[in-house]
Amino acid sequence: MRLRLLIPLLMPLWLLLPGALPLAAQTKLTVGAIYVGSVHDYGYNEAMHDGLMAMKKAIPGVTLLEAENVPETAESTRIMEGMIQHGAKLIFATSFGHQQFAFDLAKQHPDVDFEHAGGWMQMPNFGNFFGATQAAWYPMGVAAGKMTKSNILGFVAGVPIGYVVGNINAFAMGARSVNPKAEVHVVVTGGWSDKAKEAAAANALIDQGADVVTMHVDSPATVIQTAEHRGVYSIGFQSIAAKALAPKFWITGLGFTWGPFMTETAKSVMAGGFKPAMVREGLGQMMAVAPFGPAVPAATRTLVTAAAEKVEKGYNPFTGPVTDNTGVVRIKDGESWGGDKMGSFDWYVEGVIGKPK
Amino acid sequence: MSTSFAAGVLTSSILSGTSLLYATLGELVGERAGIVNLGLEGTMLIGASVGFAAASVTGDPYLGLLAAGLAGTAANLLFGFVVISRRANQLAAGLTLMFFGFGASALIGRPFVGAIVPGLPEFFGFDALVWLAAPTAVGLWCVIFRTRWGLGLRAVGEDPVAAFASGRRPESLRYQALSLGGFLGGIGGAHLSLALTLTWDEGMTAGRGFIAIALVIFARWNPLWAVPGALVFGGAEALQLQLQARGADVSPFLMNMTPYLLTMLILVFWGWNRRSTAPAALGRNFFGVE
Repeated sequence: MRLRLLIPLLMPLWLLLPGALPLAAQTKLTVGAIYVGSVHDYGYNEAMHDGLMAMKKAIPGVTLLEAENVPETAESTRIMEGMIQHGAKLIFATSFGHQQFAFDLAKQHPDVDFEHAGGWMQMPNFGNFFGATQAAWYPMGVAAGKMTKSNILGFVAGVPIGYVVGNINAFAMGARSVNPKAEVHVVVTGGWSDKAKEAAAANALIDQGADVVTMHVDSPATVIQTAEHRGVYSIGFQSIAAKALAPKFWITGLGFTWGPFMTETAKSVMAGGFKPAMVREGLGQMMAVAPFGPAVPAATRTLVTAAAEKVEKGYNPFTGPVTDNTGVVRIKDGESWGGDKMGSFDWYVEGVIGKPK
Repeated sequence: MSTSFAAGVLTSSILSGTSLLYATLGELVGERAGIVNLGLEGTMLIGASVGFAAASVTGDPYLGLLAAGLAGTAANLLFGFVVISRRANQLAAGLTLMFFGFGASALIGRPFVGAIVPGLPEFFGFDALVWLAAPTAVGLWCVIFRTRWGLGLRAVGEDPVAAFASGRRPESLRYQALSLGGFLGGIGGAHLSLALTLTWDEGMTAGRGFIAIALVIFARWNPLWAVPGALVFGGAEALQLQLQARGADVSPFLMNMTPYLLTMLILVFWGWNRRSTAPAALGRNFFGVE
C-alpha cells in the first residue's frame, strides 16, 4: 500500500489547524474554557457554557475559546496550553478532574489566571468556584413531596460521593417536611455518564412505584426523557434548559447560574485585580430554581418558592437533631453542618432507602 | 407498588437485553464464517449515532434504524477489506475498528447531541425491535443451519481451504457474513439511542459490544442460545438496579459488578468444556490456494 505517502501529505493540514483559531491581539481579553462533555447535554456542561456566553454578552470585546469533550487527562494540558498560546489570559477548567492539570499549568504561566469548578487548590493565579448545591435541593424535595401520590420518590445517582449524598439528604428532608410519608429510593449507576444504565435505573425506580424521579448525573436528559415517556413526574438538575425535554411531567429543577460570577472574574482579570478564592454560593447567586411545569398546582408553587427563599436567606436543613436511616443521631441537637462538611456525608437521612457505600 | 418485582425485572431485562441480542447475533454470523470482530463495540456505536442522526434529520425512527443498519454494514465492510482482502490480523484490526468507531460515531453524532428525536413507536408496551428480536434469532438459525448459503458459511468457518476446494468462495462469503453482521450490530446500537435512552452520547454502548462477544461464546455459536443469553445478561443489569430501587441491603458498588461477575463465571464454567463448538477456522485468514 502507498498509505505511507499519505502521512507527509497530511502534515501541512495539521499545521494549518491552529491558524483557524481567532487572533487574540485585537481583543481586550481572551477567555479559554474546557468542558468534559458536550455543551448541548442539557446538564453540567451546558450550564457552564451558558455562564460563559452570559459573560461574553456582558463584556463587549471578549473572545471565548471553547473546547468540548476534553478528557480529564494530560490531553487537557495540551488543549489549555494551546488556548494560552492563542492569547487566553483567563482559563475556566470546568470539570473536577481537570484540577491537577490546570494547577500545574498555572505554575508555568503566572501571567494567566485560572478558575476551576469544584476543587480546592489555590494559588495567586488559581481560584475555584462551585454552587452550594445541598441546601438548594431542599425546595426540590418540597416540590416532590407535594406532587407524589405513591410517596415513593426516585433518585438516580451517578457515584455516591459525599456531595451527592448531601444532595439526596436535603432532597429527602425537604420532601418529608411537607409529606412525612415520603421515601426517597436511590439507585446508583456507578458512573457520571452511562445513558443506557441511567434509562434502566429510571425504569427500575418507576417499576418499583416511584412517581417522581430526579437525578444527579452529568446530563439529566435520559432520566427526564424516560420519566416523560412513562408518564412520571421529573425534577431536573444541573441546567434549567432540561425543562424542554419534559413538556408534560416536568415539576421544576435546579440549575447552575454561573454568568454573574464568570463576568465578575473576567472583569477582575481585565482590571488586573484577579483575586483567587474558594467561592461556594447557593440559591440566588450560583443556583436558580427552574420554572414550574404545567402540572404543578399554584399552592405547591407557593410552597416551593417559599422554601427556596428560606434557603436563600440562610436556612440550613442540616441543623440538629438529624437522624440517619438506621436510627443513629448524626447531627446532635444544637449543632449544624456548614459548607465545610458537605463532602463528608457517608450516611443517608431518615426516609432515604439505600446504602451510600 | 404499581408492578410486581418480577414483572419489573423481566420488563427491564427484555429492554436491556434487546440491543445485546442483535449485537450478539451480528457477531455470531461473522464468527460462523471464521471472522472474529473485536470491533463490535465500534460497529454498535456507529449504528447508534448514525441511527440517531438519521432519525433526527428525517423525523422517522424507522429510517433511522435502516440507516443504522447500513452504517453498521459499512463499518464491517471496512473491517472486512482489512482482514479479508488485505489479510491483516483479525484481533488487531478489530481493536482498530473499535477505536475508529469511537471517533467516527463521535464525529457523526456531534451536531445531534441534545437533539430530540421521535422514539420507536410501541406496540403492546414494547417497540418493534423488541418484538422482532427473538424471531430474528430463529430466522438466523434457519439461515445458518437450514440453507445452502448457511452451509457454505459454516464450511468457510470450519475450513476455508476445503470449502474453496468444494466450490465455495470463502472471501465472498466472509464479506457477506460481515455485511449481515454489521447490519445487526448497527441495529443493536440504534436500539440504545432510538428506543432505550432517546439520546446520543459518545461511547454510550459502555462495553456492551464486548459483553456481546462473550455472549457468542455463551451461546456456543448458536443463534437460539443467544436469546436466553442476552436475557440473562440484560437481567443481571436490570436485577441489580431493581434491587437497589427496592432498597436491598447490599452495597451499590457490589451490585454494579454483577453483570461482569456473571460474564467471568460463565467464561470459567464454559471454558473447561472441551467439546467446544467454536468454528475451527475462527480468527484464521484465508490466504488462497496455490
